[in-house]
Amino acid sequence: MLGRGSKLAAVKISAIIVTAIVVVVAVAGVALYILTAPAPTPTPTPTRPKITEIRIGMIEPLTGKYAVFGKEAVDAARLIIEIINEELGGVKSLGGAKLVLVGVEDAGESPEVTAMAAERLIATHRPHIIVGAYISRLTAAAAEVTERERVIFAFDALVDWLTERGWRYVIRLAPKASAHGATAARFALSLAKERGVEAKKVVVLHEDSVFGTYVATGAIRELAANRIPYESVSYPYTIEDFGPIISRLREIKPDIIISVPYFHDGVLFAKAYRASGLKVKLIAGAGGCGYIDPGSIEAVGEAVEYFTNTLSYDPSRATEWNKKVVEKYVSRYGKPPSEAAGIIFYTLFFIYEGLEKASEMFPDDPLNPDNLMKVFMSLDLTDENSISAQLYPTGRIKLAPNGDNIYAGTAVLQVIGGKARVVWPKPEPGVVPVCPMP
Amino acid sequence: MGGPTLKASRFGWLAPPLALAALCGLVPHMVGFNQYYILVATRIAIVASVALSWNIIGGLAGQLDLASSAYLGLGGILAAELMIKYGVTPWIGMLAGAAASAGVAFLIGYPLFRFGIREVWYALSTVALVVVLHELAIVLMGPFDYYVPPVEGWYYLRFRTWENLYYVSLVLLAFVIVVNLWVSRSKLGYYLKAIREDETAAEALGVDVRKYKLLALLIYATLVGFAGYLYVVTQRTYSYKTFSAPFSIYIAVIGIVGGLGSVDGILLAAAMLGMAEEYLRATFGGTLPGLHLLVYGLLLVTVGVLRPEGLATVTRRLLRPVRTRFLGGESA
Amino acid sequence: MLPSPSLIVQSLVDGVFLGFLFSLVALGLSLVFGVMGFINFAHGDFLMASAYLVWVLASSLRTEPLATAALTVPLFFVVGAAVYFLVARPLLGREPLMQIAVTVGVGYVLQNVALMSFRAEPRASLSYALNTYFGLGPVSVHAAKLVAALMSFAIVVGLDYLLKRTWFGLAVRATAYDRETAMLMGVDVNKVYVAVFGLGIALTALASSLWMTFGQVDPYLGASFGLVSWIVIALGGLGGVPGILASSLIIGVVQSLTTNIVSPSVKMAAASVVFLLVLWFRPRGLFGKV
Repeated sequence: MLGRGSKLAAVKISAIIVTAIVVVVAVAGVALYILTAPAPTPTPTPTRPKITEIRIGMIEPLTGKYAVFGKEAVDAARLIIEIINEELGGVKSLGGAKLVLVGVEDAGESPEVTAMAAERLIATHRPHIIVGAYISRLTAAAAEVTERERVIFAFDALVDWLTERGWRYVIRLAPKASAHGATAARFALSLAKERGVEAKKVVVLHEDSVFGTYVATGAIRELAANRIPYESVSYPYTIEDFGPIISRLREIKPDIIISVPYFHDGVLFAKAYRASGLKVKLIAGAGGCGYIDPGSIEAVGEAVEYFTNTLSYDPSRATEWNKKVVEKYVSRYGKPPSEAAGIIFYTLFFIYEGLEKASEMFPDDPLNPDNLMKVFMSLDLTDENSISAQLYPTGRIKLAPNGDNIYAGTAVLQVIGGKARVVWPKPEPGVVPVCPMP
Repeated sequence: MGGPTLKASRFGWLAPPLALAALCGLVPHMVGFNQYYILVATRIAIVASVALSWNIIGGLAGQLDLASSAYLGLGGILAAELMIKYGVTPWIGMLAGAAASAGVAFLIGYPLFRFGIREVWYALSTVALVVVLHELAIVLMGPFDYYVPPVEGWYYLRFRTWENLYYVSLVLLAFVIVVNLWVSRSKLGYYLKAIREDETAAEALGVDVRKYKLLALLIYATLVGFAGYLYVVTQRTYSYKTFSAPFSIYIAVIGIVGGLGSVDGILLAAAMLGMAEEYLRATFGGTLPGLHLLVYGLLLVTVGVLRPEGLATVTRRLLRPVRTRFLGGESA
Repeated sequence: MLPSPSLIVQSLVDGVFLGFLFSLVALGLSLVFGVMGFINFAHGDFLMASAYLVWVLASSLRTEPLATAALTVPLFFVVGAAVYFLVARPLLGREPLMQIAVTVGVGYVLQNVALMSFRAEPRASLSYALNTYFGLGPVSVHAAKLVAALMSFAIVVGLDYLLKRTWFGLAVRATAYDRETAMLMGVDVNKVYVAVFGLGIALTALASSLWMTFGQVDPYLGASFGLVSWIVIALGGLGGVPGILASSLIIGVVQSLTTNIVSPSVKMAAASVVFLLVLWFRPRGLFGKV
C-alpha cells in the first residue's frame, strides 16, 4: 500500500502524464491524418466507364409525428422509379441506366438526427441525388451535409428560405410556403365574390413555426393587396386546448378564416370549432397539412366537412400521365395520392428528364453535380414536352437560379361528403365548391 | 511501503491509458475516414465528457442533477451566438459559456443548498431549471432552429470534415478525466463522498456541506458549459430544444449505469450506449421508434434494482487480469 | 395590450377546473411519498398509459371515455400493486437517487412502449356527449371540464374522509407517522404499502378518464402531469388534502393565466418558477406543517 501523501502525489503525476499522452496522441493523430488522409476528392470524374445506375437516396421522416408524410413519399418514390426503369427503360441517353433507390434514411423528428442520417446515407452509398426531407427544418439540416459533399438535394419541403440560403446544389419544384398562403387567400376571396358572400373580415389563424409563419405571410400579403381587413392569430403547433383561440374568434367575428395547421392542431381546431357553435362562411386551410388528408378526415369525421386546404399537387389534373400515375398509385396503395406523394411524382420525373438531357449537354461527365445542376436549370418543361409538367398543378416547370420553380402553383381541395375533392384552379368534373359553409 | 509492487507499477500502470489513448487517437484511421463514423465517435467523446462532469455532482456528491442540458445549452448557445453575431472566436466563446453556466449554477445552487434542499427536491429543482430555460428560449429565440454558419477553420472551431473536431473532443475528454481523478482523490472528493453516504452525519462531523456541494455543482456546470459549443457544432443546430429534459436524463443514465463515481465505468457506458443508440436508430428507427430509450429505461431499472454498482464492476472484472499483470496486485 | 377582463375571468375558471384535476393526480403521488417515503418519477407516465387504455377502450367499444373508468381503475390498482412488488419494494429505504433513477427508467419504458404502439401523434377520444360549451355570464364553460372538476373534487374529499374516519385510514396514517410503532400496533405495513401504491396508481387511471373527456394523449403527456404533481406536493407540503387542493388550484390558475395571457409555450415554466420560489422561501410548503 502507498501512503496517502505519496498516493496523492502519484495520482497528480499520473494525471498530468495521462493528459500529456492524450494530447501527444491527438496531435500525432492530426499529423498522421494530414499526412495520410486522401486529398479532398477533386471533382469526381470517374464517369468515363459506362454508367449503369444512377443512385438516388431518400431522407424522409419515417418515425414520429411526421411519419405519415415520409412513408407516403417513399411509397411514391418506389412506384415512380419502377415506372421509369421498367416502362420507360431507364435513362435511354445513358444507355438505359437504371435509377436505383440506394438508401432510405429516417429523418426522425429533429434536425440533428436528420443531419446524421444524411452523413450516413452519403458515407455509405454516395448517391448522385438525394430527395427529402419533407419537414423544412429537417431538410435544412440535411442540406448542410449534402452541400458540403456536393450531392444534389431535391427538396420536397416548402418553407421559402430553404432556397434563399445560397446553397448551390439544391432544387425545389413544389410551390413554396408563401405561395400556398397566397393561393388560399386568392381562392377564398374569389369564391366568396362569386357566391356573393361578404368577406368584411378575415382571420389568418396559423401555427407559429417557421412554416406556419411563411404560409400566413403569403396569405396576408394577398389580403392586403386586395384591401381586405384581416387579423392574424397565432398559436404554437403543440397547442393542447383551442378554448382561448375560440374565445378570440368569438370576439373578432370573422367571415372567413384562413387557417394554417401543421397537422394535429388542425384536428383539434376542427373539433373545437364544431363544439363551439361558431359560424363562419369558409374555413380555407393553407399549407397542405391537415383537414383534407385521409388521416384528418378519419380522425375527426364530420368536423372537417367543407374545410379546404391547398395542395402542392393536383390529383385530378386531366393529363395523360397524371391519370396514369394516379391510377397506378391507387391500385397499388389503395388510397389517393396526397401532398407528399404528389411532390415526389413530379420531382422524380423532373430528375429523370434532366438525366436524359445530361449526356447530350455533357457527354464527358453527365453525372457531375455542377453539370447536372446546369442541365436542371436549362430545362423548360410544359405539358407538351414533359411528363413531370403533366403531373404539376400549373403544367409548367422552369427553375430560377435559386432552384425554385418559376411557374409554381397549388391546387385547392375541399372535403365534400367526407372525401377530398379538387375545387381549384379547376373543379373536378361534377364537383361544386361549397360556400358559404352551412 | 510499496516495495516490489511499486516498482512493478512505476510505468506499468501507464499501459492501459496509453493503449486507450492510442486506440482513440487512431479511430479516424480505423474507420477509413468515413465521416459518419467519425461523427459518431466525436459525439460519444463529447457525451462522455458531459457524463464525467456530471459524475462530480451526481456520482461523487450523490446529488441527482438533471440539468446537464441546461448548462450545455447555455454554454453552447452563448458561444455560438457570440461567434455568429460578433465574430468572437469560440475559443473565447466557450470560456464565456463556461462562465455563464457557472453563474447560473451558482444562482440556482446557492439558495438551494443554503436552504438545505436535497434529494427529490434537488432533482426536481434541476428539472425545473431545464423547463424554465426551455420555455424561456421559446419566448426569446422563437420556435426556430438556428444553424451554425458554414464557416471553417481553427478560428471558428468548425471544419469541413470531422477529424479535427474529434481530436479536440478527445482532448476535452482527457481533461475531464483528469479533473475527475483529481477531485475524487482530493480532500473535496472525500468530503463529497461523505456527503453522498450520509449528509446529516457529514454535517455533524463538521463538513461544510453547503460549500462542498456548491463547489461540486460549479465544477460540473463549468465543464459542461465549456463543452457546449462542441456539442452544438456536432448537432449543427441549436434551438430551444437544446434545453432538453430527455438529454439530461440520458446523461444521468450513463452516470448511473456506468457506476456512480467510476470513471472507467462511465466511459464504457457512454461508448456502449452511444454506439447502441446510433445502431438502434439507424437499424430499427423506421420500425421501432424509441427503442433505444426503451432500452435505457430497462437498463436503469435493472441496474437500479439488481446491481447498483453499475458497469464499473464489469470493467473491474475485465481489467483485473490486466491489472494483476501490470501492477502486480490489487493494491492500486 | 392589456388582457380583457373577460379573458381573465375565463382563465380563472379554466384554471380552477384544471386545478381540481391536478389535485386528484397529486393526491395519489403524495400518499405514496408521504406514507412510504418512496419517490416516484413515473407517476405521470402511469396516467399517460391509462389514458391510452381509455382511448383504445372508448374508441373500440364506442363508449364515453368516463365509462371506461369502471375497467381501468381496478386494473391500474393491480398494475400499481405489481409495480410495487417489482420495483418499489426492492428500493424502499435505498438512497433517493436510485429511487428517482429507477422510476425515471420505468417512465421511459412506459413512454416508449406507448410510442412504439401508438406512434407520437396525439389521440383524442371521439366522444361528443360532454364536448359542448355553455355560456355563464362572460365565460364559456366546457361541460367536460366542469364534470372533471366536480368529480375530482368529490373524490378527493371522499378520500380525505376515508383517510380520517376509517380503520384503513388510521392504519395508513399510523404507518406514515411511524412505521415501527404501526407494526407493533398490529398494522400489516406491507399490506398498507401495497394498498397505498395501488391506490395512487388507480387514481391516475381515474384522472386519465376524466382528462380524456376533453384532452388528448401522446406519449409525453405524463411528463407535465408528473412535474405538476411534484410541484403541488412541494407547495402543499405533506399537510394533507386541504393543502393539496389549495396548491393544485394555485398551479392550475397560474398555468391557465400564463397560457391565455402570455403564451401556451410558457405554462410549465410559470409553474416551475412558482416551485423554485416556494422551495427557496417556504421550503416546507405554503400550507405544510412546520
